[in-house]
Amino acid sequence: MPFSAESISTLLAIAWLLPLASFTVIVLSGRALGRTGKFASVLATAAIVTGFALSLVSLVIWHGSDHATAQGGAPHEAAPAERETHASLDNVESGVHSGAPLIQLVAAEVSTEEGGYTADAAGDHDTQKLPTYYAGDWYALGVFGDLRITIGYYVDALTIIMFCMVTLIASCIHFYAIGYMHDELHDFTDSEVTLASGEKLTRPGRFHRFYQYMSLFCFSMLGVVISGNMAMVFVFWELVGICSYFLIGFYIERKSASNAANKAFIVNRVGDFGMIIGLMALWGSLGTFSFGDTAGPDGETRAGIFSLVRPKTLEGQANEHRLVVPDGMVQWAAHEQVAGVVLDHPDDLAAARSQIASQTPDWRDDGYGYWLLVIAGLGIFCGCVGKSAQFPLHVWLPDAMEGPTPVSALVHSATMVAAGVYLVARFFPVLAPEVLLVIAYTGCITLFIAATIAITATDIKRVLAYSTVSQLGYMMLALGLGGWVAGVFHLITHAFFKSLLFMCSGSVIHAVHSNEMTDMGGLLKKMPITAMTMLVGCLAIIGAGIPLSTIGFSGYYSKDAILEQAWSFASVNPMHNALFFVPAAGAAITAFYMFRMWYMTFLGKPRDQHRYDHAHESPRVMTTPLIVLALFAMAVAWPVFGLNGLIESARPAGTLATADGGALMPNLIIPNEHGNHVDAVRVPAGLIAFGTAMFGLLLASAIYWWGLVDPNEIRRQFRAAHRFLLGKWWFDELYEVIFIRPTLFVSRCISGIDKKIIDSLIDGLALATRKVANVWDAVVDRRVVDGLFNGVAYRTWDVALALRVVQTGKLRQYVMFIVIGTVALFVLVSIVRSYALAG
Amino acid sequence: MILAHLLNEPVGVSHYLVVGAIMFVCGAVCMATKRNTLGVLMGIELVLNGANINFVAFGSPYLQRGGSALGLEGQLMALFVIVLAAAEAAVALAIALNFYNNYNSIDIDRGDQLQG
Amino acid sequence: MENAIYWPTFFFLLFAALACAFSLGVVFAQSVVRMAFYLVLALASTAGLFFLAGAEFVAAMQIMIYVGGTLVLLIFGVMLTAQSPFVSMKTRGGDWLLAAIVGGSLLAVLLPVTVAVPEWRGMDRAEAEAIEVVPTATRLGMGLLGVRVDKNDQQYESLLAGMSGYLMPFEIVAIHLLVVLIGAAYLARPRRRREYSDGVPADTPVTTV
Repeated sequence: MPFSAESISTLLAIAWLLPLASFTVIVLSGRALGRTGKFASVLATAAIVTGFALSLVSLVIWHGSDHATAQGGAPHEAAPAERETHASLDNVESGVHSGAPLIQLVAAEVSTEEGGYTADAAGDHDTQKLPTYYAGDWYALGVFGDLRITIGYYVDALTIIMFCMVTLIASCIHFYAIGYMHDELHDFTDSEVTLASGEKLTRPGRFHRFYQYMSLFCFSMLGVVISGNMAMVFVFWELVGICSYFLIGFYIERKSASNAANKAFIVNRVGDFGMIIGLMALWGSLGTFSFGDTAGPDGETRAGIFSLVRPKTLEGQANEHRLVVPDGMVQWAAHEQVAGVVLDHPDDLAAARSQIASQTPDWRDDGYGYWLLVIAGLGIFCGCVGKSAQFPLHVWLPDAMEGPTPVSALVHSATMVAAGVYLVARFFPVLAPEVLLVIAYTGCITLFIAATIAITATDIKRVLAYSTVSQLGYMMLALGLGGWVAGVFHLITHAFFKSLLFMCSGSVIHAVHSNEMTDMGGLLKKMPITAMTMLVGCLAIIGAGIPLSTIGFSGYYSKDAILEQAWSFASVNPMHNALFFVPAAGAAITAFYMFRMWYMTFLGKPRDQHRYDHAHESPRVMTTPLIVLALFAMAVAWPVFGLNGLIESARPAGTLATADGGALMPNLIIPNEHGNHVDAVRVPAGLIAFGTAMFGLLLASAIYWWGLVDPNEIRRQFRAAHRFLLGKWWFDELYEVIFIRPTLFVSRCISGIDKKIIDSLIDGLALATRKVANVWDAVVDRRVVDGLFNGVAYRTWDVALALRVVQTGKLRQYVMFIVIGTVALFVLVSIVRSYALAG
Repeated sequence: MILAHLLNEPVGVSHYLVVGAIMFVCGAVCMATKRNTLGVLMGIELVLNGANINFVAFGSPYLQRGGSALGLEGQLMALFVIVLAAAEAAVALAIALNFYNNYNSIDIDRGDQLQG
Repeated sequence: MENAIYWPTFFFLLFAALACAFSLGVVFAQSVVRMAFYLVLALASTAGLFFLAGAEFVAAMQIMIYVGGTLVLLIFGVMLTAQSPFVSMKTRGGDWLLAAIVGGSLLAVLLPVTVAVPEWRGMDRAEAEAIEVVPTATRLGMGLLGVRVDKNDQQYESLLAGMSGYLMPFEIVAIHLLVVLIGAAYLARPRRRREYSDGVPADTPVTTV
């Protein structure tokens, strides 16, 4: 192979750093790049397109180096002189392990064979099989004995898929934004900002700054994806947050935009608080942040979190990468016992250590440390709740639509909000079943709330925002139910069709100069390309396809996978039946509001004739990305492209087995995802998915296309419900009362203390100092010091005046003095001599 | 009686020195008291003369037992002193004349311009 | 013969008394002319003392240079700077007292010294009479020319090395006198006088010395 597998990490690193270079150049010289900074877009777009090319090359290399096959790659020896290692651990056990029994269905045959599913390229059922990955450190920021904080990477199939997806969508949006943001190339009059004088604000354009932030965002997002350890993820997590803040608040003079930016960042911060607790739990007990195993300088392998949490062998027996509480957490939780052991061996630390090690399994069986594992998982999930706008931290995403539409398309639909889902997927091996259940329920609640709010929204971007929240809920639900591949799959497909939908909406907004669907209508004739691509996006999101087959839009595959996993989960855990019925209902609601949106925008009579007359199709630089993305939205999930298999190859070790619940919920069973291929699961799930989607579609068509029912009638009928939904379930008002008002009150109190007490104290101090200085000056400085020096001078003067008298100018007196002097000298000498002679 | 005793015994250096001392003191007092510049000059002459007596006394072979220590030097020095005294007197006189020309008075108390 | 007057002593006492008296006269005289005259007599008496001490040449020089030259010069000066008879320059009483104290103290300091060394008090008459009288003029002259012929008579061996000729000082003094001559002539050159207080005009021709 001309390109070895090591070069993947280098290629991805270059793709990651190119947007940073673009950002730096634009920051330093943005306005100078071309007239009005137009060249900034070229620079940023070139950087991200190159990144996409490099990601594609990495994908090709990955395919070519045979990682997707059953046996995995040959073991690599770590080059001892190099600091980065490619720890490609493969399955050691020969043969095919039949794995644990698949699932127990309540009323179906128990199938112990692997048959019943299409043998795709995802490899065998060997639960011993680890995903192939490359992990290494580029630079160690701090080394404290065994503890390390590094800048490192973790590259597996998931990384490469995310890279390709992010760079592709970002490239499309960079092109799109060249057309969309052309208003910023000259002085811009912001019609939503009224100055105190009553006129609208006119300001110079900020075209280059948009691309500067976009470049920084691409760098940050790719940093999240390539990170090899949790601390680095956190750093880039925050960076992505700040880029979102900048981009949402791009029209910073608008009060609504700056408020929305603040809201986004602060709500994210709330989630990050939980994330920090999770990080602390991990660091304190495990002492490492790295995901994968890396090689030390002496060639030894440093275990990463995944290996610690899902070891191959436990206490000398095969563990098959099941989730266990790692030694570090057990000992941390059983600290009293550990202290007791140490005290028993006060002088012999080695004996104490060996005793602790031998007793750790007992402690683990007693249940020590399980809570810590759960808290670590929940903490990290908290951050994801904030970033991916899950309930209860979902309030920022609809307001984030204040940013320009390309921002919404890239950041708040496809990439940043997907970072939360990505992190859950990446961190999946560490999540205990209880945590997964919490994730599932969170996703479930979120998808329902958001879907219902979207029914009544009239701002086209709001509809899409709530749709995004809802779909993110789907992804979280999928991951929580144990459907790792389903969740990631939906992440990828959602990225494509959601960004497509946002860009189409942006195209419409650009044409009509309004966000409200009440100003639109009948635009199909005027904007055919936009309408058709948007239709493709809508079909993709509702999961349109031929049921029980492998033909459909991209969303069909992923949505079906989710519902299949939900069905099998509900089958083995009847207590959690809601986790199937709610997503099913959500599918119906999704179909309803998506097509409501499409019909209101493109069909029917134009609601605002003036705007309709001025509407026109967008320029080619905007419609071409639409078409590209529409193609992807249709075809990215087709089996011929092997996306499913690629994702499968990144599945974390040990998740292929059916997992039992942990210490807290022993009865929970998380079914094996591969068991969904049996008919007993596929058929009901597929039919229900298709049925609900069609139901929603028909309902929407009945109301908004064929006009069988008047929407105003429905609104009047369900007025209370409508107002509740229109008020977004009153979440903002609730948070205002619970959090914002008390904070402002406390702030006012403290500010009062600051102004009245502290300020007056300091002012008083200053006044006192001034007075003291004055007194000191008058008394000490003037009288004493000056007096001293002046006195010395005056005394010297007086002495001089006195001595002056000696000089009389009279010769006779001088003679007298000569004689007197001689006499005196003689007398003195004789006295001294007499004393000397006497003594 | 003392005088008779004195007349019978030879004099020694001390006697000469006494005379020299008296002359010297007279000269010094003269310098210190006379307001006439020329009186001051005369005082200078007296002082130098007193010194000369000392020199000659020390150089005289007849006054000390075993001859003088200075020998000829005493007389030579006295000679030089005389010569230099003469030279100095000439210059001092010239100064005094100048003084008289400027102040039209020979009162030395008039010349106190160097008063501090 | 022990009671015979030792004549050198007699003459010494005579000349010494004269010298002291006239010196005191110089001090106490009121008129500058009298001062000059007394000074002449004092210096002449001193010359007599020199003769008694065996320094004939010095005594002769004393009379010639001092009395005959310097004092004459002084008298000329007195004449040239004659004041009007009504101008008196008397020393005040306070100054006299101060001078007396100073002079007295100086005398008090000097006199004990004069009698301090026993060798200076004089010899026995017999020894004194035994001393051979040697004229010193020739020796002085030779010494001035650089030859110290009295080396033979030096008793103290340690002082032999310091007995050098006086040619160099002799020449220097000669030049010194020349310089003084020129200097004094220059200093005392005739100049325009200031206007007299009694109305004599300023451009009165100057009388040369």
